[in-house]
Amino acid sequence: MSTQISTGSAAIPASSRQEFAAGVVHCLPIVAGAIPFGFLLGSLAAKAGLSALDMGLMSALVFAGSSQFVAVELLDKNGSGAGAGLAVVGAILLVNLRHLLMGATLEPRFRGVSRARSGLALFFMTDEQWALALRRGPELTLAYWYGVAATLYLAWLGSTVAGALAGALIADPTAWGLDFTFIAVFLCLLAGFWRGVGSLPPWLASAAAALAVHALSSGGTWHILAGALAGGAVAACQAKGQGRARDV
Amino acid sequence: MFESLHLDLSVFAIVLGGALVTWMTRIGGPWLIARVRLGPAANAALEATPGAVLVALVAPAALSRPSDALAAAFVCLIARRVPMVVAVVAGVLAVVMLRRLM
Repeated sequence: MSTQISTGSAAIPASSRQEFAAGVVHCLPIVAGAIPFGFLLGSLAAKAGLSALDMGLMSALVFAGSSQFVAVELLDKNGSGAGAGLAVVGAILLVNLRHLLMGATLEPRFRGVSRARSGLALFFMTDEQWALALRRGPELTLAYWYGVAATLYLAWLGSTVAGALAGALIADPTAWGLDFTFIAVFLCLLAGFWRGVGSLPPWLASAAAALAVHALSSGGTWHILAGALAGGAVAACQAKGQGRARDV
Repeated sequence: MFESLHLDLSVFAIVLGGALVTWMTRIGGPWLIARVRLGPAANAALEATPGAVLVALVAPAALSRPSDALAAAFVCLIARRVPMVVAVVAGVLAVVMLRRLM
């Protein structure tokens, strides 16, 4: 048991073990929704000719759900030749570009953490990891981070390998409304970012941009980047407007 | 059993490449932001990014059908009043019922 890394306002510092446990508990609803999708990805990979070992290595080393779905789909369609392989790596990069913006918002939390430690911790930064870490606010500790990370990592690795072993047995997560788990979790996290009506213009801009790009592009995650940029642009305009109002 | 342990070298090369570029997108954000000085507008944009990303993540799926949009609105209403687990379970139950009805 060691003491908390960041200095919280509470008089009694929470122990690392408690922080780790809190991280595990907080991501349990997410894990319940993620496991069926991991299983589905594994079975799609088996259909694409990947072995359980191939799948396990991909989940263990890439560890980014959406990009793995795209990669498996491309491998199924085009095979793993040199040219097709480069296209897969390029697609994985494009799908994961949103991490740049997400990581930037976490920078204050990683100030004072050594480069090696933050480089390892950030390896685990998925959408869910990022959202839970931000929700934790300035109280975020590495122990909490790894509580979330370990749970998500093991669930993802286990479910994708199990899916690849089961092969043809394809589960349909939408049948049980499990696909809605992610929507519900992200909406709850979004509610935590509500700062009054001033939050509305960036959010509406993000929704409009995301819907437009989603309709134009077939799948992928470009709509996330488009929404983030549109929302950021509107917020920047709001800040400029406020600055002008103060000058007058 | 042995088939499941088969390692395709070309697939493994793709996995390694994908792992490297993904890790770079993950460490790149904090690395870049620590090296540039942001004005108030850029700062406001960055502060609005988490909410905007979450909106963009859910918008296409949440508005894909009326049943899901209704369930999403329901989750938004209860999100700040009940613990997250309760809101998520209630939201999933609501969407299952609404999808059958609509």
